[in-house]
Amino acid sequence: MTISTSKPSETFLKSKSEIIFLIGSILTSLGILLVTVGGSWDITNHLLSKPETFSSPPHALMYSGVAVTLFGVVLSFIGWKNLQKFKTSYFLSLKIKLIGIGLLTGAGPFDFIWHSYFGLDGLLSPPHFTLITGMFLCSIGGMVGISRYLKFHNSKSVSKHLLILAVIPVWLSASGIISSLSLPFSSTDFFQFNPEPTFAFIVASLAYPFLISFSLFMVFRLSNYQFGLVSILGGLFLLIYSSTAIVPNFAMIDTVQFYSLNLIPFVIADVFLKLSRSKLSLFFSGGLIGSVFYMVYYPYVMYTYNEILLGKLVSPSLIYFVYFELIETVLLYTLIPSIVMGVLAVIISAKIAKKILIT
Amino acid sequence: MKKFLIYLSAFVILSLYFVLTIFILPSEFLMTEQLVPEPSFTAILSETNITLGDSFHLDIVSMNNGDYADIHIVSVAFPDLNIIDDVVKITTYDFTLSPSYISVDDEIGSKYSGGVETTLAQYPSIEAMSRPLKPDVQTHFDLLITPQELGLFNIYVKSIGIPHTSDISHYPYSGFLDHQNEYVSVYSVSVNP
Repeated sequence: MTISTSKPSETFLKSKSEIIFLIGSILTSLGILLVTVGGSWDITNHLLSKPETFSSPPHALMYSGVAVTLFGVVLSFIGWKNLQKFKTSYFLSLKIKLIGIGLLTGAGPFDFIWHSYFGLDGLLSPPHFTLITGMFLCSIGGMVGISRYLKFHNSKSVSKHLLILAVIPVWLSASGIISSLSLPFSSTDFFQFNPEPTFAFIVASLAYPFLISFSLFMVFRLSNYQFGLVSILGGLFLLIYSSTAIVPNFAMIDTVQFYSLNLIPFVIADVFLKLSRSKLSLFFSGGLIGSVFYMVYYPYVMYTYNEILLGKLVSPSLIYFVYFELIETVLLYTLIPSIVMGVLAVIISAKIAKKILIT
Repeated sequence: MKKFLIYLSAFVILSLYFVLTIFILPSEFLMTEQLVPEPSFTAILSETNITLGDSFHLDIVSMNNGDYADIHIVSVAFPDLNIIDDVVKITTYDFTLSPSYISVDDEIGSKYSGGVETTLAQYPSIEAMSRPLKPDVQTHFDLLITPQELGLFNIYVKSIGIPHTSDISHYPYSGFLDHQNEYVSVYSVSVNP
């Protein structure tokens, strides 16, 4: 009896294994997206000193995200195990996801122990860094899985919109790593994990421009240069960031109009890349996207520059005053390095996209 | 020609974007009025003369009469003590954050700079903090104090609103300056044999 029911299910698993792997990859990316959105919202709530509870909405979003990611990785494993072809090609995605989910789920108990011994922690702490690294690896695993599936099946342009879901969690979780290493939000009674201000200044000025350009060029290259995806991905990032970091702070709601203008460089880069894929066009677009990092990472990036340039006490209602006070000075210092990093990301994204797509 | 027009339009839009985001909108936002919290408090001593071993109450009701305050602080300091120990007990407390105990030689902010300028505490104090505090909301901070030495027992009380954007963002506005170079109201109780 057992044998007769297991055979059809085995056949089903084998015939649908690649789709199961794809669904697993999509859920992994979606889960990380939920965790990163919840994380960004949680940081804002901490800055606004909103009451912190175990089941606050940002926390609930993060826990759901971890559960969805875990389910996604399990599905990926089941799918991969039953694959009839491309088993080796999908293994990289699975391997990265497994390491990522190990770190992600291990970070929970680690965080609990840490809290028990040292009380509340800041943005950068060993358990938080474990968590963010796990998120980053899971998102990379999801991106590789989705991209390879679309490549192997010569997917049509509509399916390529899945790449937005594949890349946005990578962008957001990598932003989390950079923020941990540059924002002065990590000082507690027990540990002073705030990054050294000059180091933080350098990290933010180089890594953020690189990441923006890298993320947008990854979606552009993985989609085989499809027009529109750069604008959609950029727009989605702005939407997520504005709804989690700006809108919850009533003092900053008026600045949403300023923030929404940042869609312009993304759309223009998209148009330039549609018109020409010459080196000049690619480098110009990369440099342009890198150069606007201070605007794209409004408002929290200001804290990093305030540490070294002004040293003001920034309470929530003063965030945008200090941000705008700094804008010209920051651009003066960072414009050239940010353009260079944007261009460098264009070159590196080409090499990585090639490896992901196995071309 | 069509391509040229697209490029031209793109460059014009980009130029507008940079001018708007770097010059025009920042100066517009910087011209908007900053919030001005206006803290105040009333403090009532239950006794002004006590016998050594007896206790007295200090009941403080503080309020923000101005704009929304990101942080509302009431600080109570004890210049005649080296350590708070059992001398001071909190009996009523409805601020949103737990009270913060400051010991002698702790690094503390000064001159209403919010920590940009610092000094070392010369005597202990307790800071009550609400983050944030809306206008016209009262907060309560009551203490039961049992001096352990004869003589005059002094207490310094002050309140600060953050953002500290004006001279009315602290209370009192003038008078005695404490170890943080900030104005305090002084309350004294005579402890008799």
